[in-house]
Amino acid sequence: MSLPDLSDLHARGRWPPPEGPRVAIVGSRRPSPYGEAVAEQLGTDLARAGVIVVSGLALGIDAAAHRGALNGGGITVAVMGTGVDVVYPAAHSRLAEEILAAGGALVSQFPDGTIPRRQNFPARNWTMASITDAVVVVEAGQGSGALITAEAALHLHKEVMAVPGSVFSPLSVGTHGLLRDGAGLVQNARDILAVIGLGGEVLDDPLLPPERLRFALRPERDGIVAHLSDVLALSAADIARKLQLPVAEVLGRLTALELDGAVRRQEAGYVRALRRGKERV
Amino acid sequence: MLASVDSCVLVGLEARRVEVQADASTGSVVFNIVGLAATSVKEARERVRSAIRNSGLEFPRQRLTVNLAPAELRKEGSGLDLPMAVAVALAMMRKAAPPRSAFLGELALDGAVCHVDGVLVAARWLRRHGFERVFVPASDAREAALIDGVEVIPCADLASVIAHITGEQPIQPQPPTQPILGTETEAFEHDLIEVHGQEEARRALEVAAAGGHHLLLSGPPGAGKTMLARCLPGILPPLELSEALEVAQVRSLLGDLSSAKPLDWSRPFRAPHHGVSMAGLIGGGAGLAQPGEISRAHQGVLFLDELAEFQANVLQALRQPLEIGRVAITRSGGSVTYPARFTLVAATNPCPCGWAGDGRRACRCTPAMVDAYQRRLSGPLLDRIDLKVGVRRVPLDALASEPKGESSAPVRERVIAARRRQLDRQGCLNAQLKPARLRQMAALDAASRQTLERWAEQRSLTARGFHRAWRVARTSADLDGSEQIGERHILEALGYRLNDVAA
Repeated sequence: MSLPDLSDLHARGRWPPPEGPRVAIVGSRRPSPYGEAVAEQLGTDLARAGVIVVSGLALGIDAAAHRGALNGGGITVAVMGTGVDVVYPAAHSRLAEEILAAGGALVSQFPDGTIPRRQNFPARNWTMASITDAVVVVEAGQGSGALITAEAALHLHKEVMAVPGSVFSPLSVGTHGLLRDGAGLVQNARDILAVIGLGGEVLDDPLLPPERLRFALRPERDGIVAHLSDVLALSAADIARKLQLPVAEVLGRLTALELDGAVRRQEAGYVRALRRGKERV
Repeated sequence: MLASVDSCVLVGLEARRVEVQADASTGSVVFNIVGLAATSVKEARERVRSAIRNSGLEFPRQRLTVNLAPAELRKEGSGLDLPMAVAVALAMMRKAAPPRSAFLGELALDGAVCHVDGVLVAARWLRRHGFERVFVPASDAREAALIDGVEVIPCADLASVIAHITGEQPIQPQPPTQPILGTETEAFEHDLIEVHGQEEARRALEVAAAGGHHLLLSGPPGAGKTMLARCLPGILPPLELSEALEVAQVRSLLGDLSSAKPLDWSRPFRAPHHGVSMAGLIGGGAGLAQPGEISRAHQGVLFLDELAEFQANVLQALRQPLEIGRVAITRSGGSVTYPARFTLVAATNPCPCGWAGDGRRACRCTPAMVDAYQRRLSGPLLDRIDLKVGVRRVPLDALASEPKGESSAPVRERVIAARRRQLDRQGCLNAQLKPARLRQMAALDAASRQTLERWAEQRSLTARGFHRAWRVARTSADLDGSEQIGERHILEALGYRLNDVAA
């Protein structure tokens, strides 16, 4: 992979951004609620520490990282695999506008009008690695594009770090592989700040645990939430078996929780939601 | 010397009466068939001539004309051989045909009367249109004798038919075929007891069977979707007599009816391959359309595995039959309507690689690929499926430790009881309730209505989707033995809506 000419990047918004450390947060496009919460929290905490959060504007971890940075009042940069005038996925148009409004930038090595093409995204990942000081991977399955970014960072002598996940989850295969190979362990934003040389100077608190919603649940519904995980999807059948209840009843109770936003469907099962659905992009 | 004999030609599951007139007059020796006869009927000339000669009868050395009335109706098939030969013979003998009788059968050159397709359909139609007696091939007599109130004369060969008409040697009418009632010991190929775990899908299967709802099973390869689908016939009640007759009629048309056991009480299960053509699935062919897989699945189960692999236009064509339970097909030969009230069970992978949502293998599809894949299933078709459930793969090593569930028999008992409630209350299954009747038969209390409306708003449900969830809730209550729909029934129904995406 040849390195793109960084002076030749197309940009919308303020580019280059103001001086300061830059950290990329990347990961799965279909994360678990856990991964999404971690990415968002890291984005917020890094932004508050004055770090420019870089990501790829994709679904999942990318969006959560951008969103977190915006929530933390920081500057965030989206490195795109399309032309800067082609927001992909289109559902992220509003997010893109917010990034620009907050003083961030959309940048791309591809000319305006370039539509999403599968072969362009690995090159984008190299670009992302080359404009940052460190790459943090949050949830990446085998073959995930985030691993390409990590590999690029390694070649470019940038820091590579990873957030551990559940050993049961296929989304941990990539991140745990990186950790085994010597990537830095990320448990909170301070771990990252220390590696890029900001120490604990600015941020005093460790990673705040994601604020759990205090759901106003009817007691008969509450019981089930405790049995759900925020990483691994459990099916109605799994829970019914655990609680020795008829599956039809459990399915109904899960649906009630879903209506309240307390649980979320993930493929064929259910996970506990960590944040309100509305905040998610 | 003129004689006339009645017969009929089939138009789908209906028929049209055909009057076969034979006239022998002086003139050069020719044999003409007139009256819009297709090639297969024109060829009858040689069969009729030989059959008459080889039956010890005299073939007229005269100008012989056979007219098939009405002349505007195109006639196809070999079933008119026998009436033509009988008409010619009667004209020669100057005899009248027996009253209110119809003839149907193909002739061999030696005069033997051979099988024709659709005898059951013809016999039923003829009875309804005032005929009292039908002459049919001996091999099809058991089939025809399923119809009450019509005398069936089994015809072995032309000579004995003539001997019967002249009174020389009457043929014993075929005794009515007694439908042997379905025995409960009937063994189904697949029983739910073989399904380990999968409680959610089992329950969905039960709800589908009870209310006649269509079902989508979504899950990775090897999750047991096919196995589950094949268990459905075993938890459905046996066919009623009228239903069994409908099933038998479609089979009769296709020449697919077993003569030993013309009535079958188990529900059809059809699983066409995803390469199936439009004509194969919906019905079609040259001339008049033949019934397709959806009509063969009438009163039973149509299983479409790998739903996304079917041609898009073929899936689109499923929409009308799914709504109204029959299909109208127009071809050059005219338009026919076939019954097609089946329970659809569709199976699909959740994404192109098949592994989305699997606990052990990561899915490698991009969200866009998954979207495109799901779109191929066509929104309007998915919108017509009431129950959508995810099926998870049980790893092989864990299979043995998965709890065994019930066998099919007790599930079937509950399904039968729930169906009885529906038929007593509204005369049809819940899946077939029109919105207006649904409001009458499935009134919601305030809490249930609020829950349903909340979901509909959150997920931008279409009106169709809204009513579908409501109907499923009706079925859930019926399985509970409850007249009133409670919030828990609504919630369960909403739990089967896998593809509703929160806005």
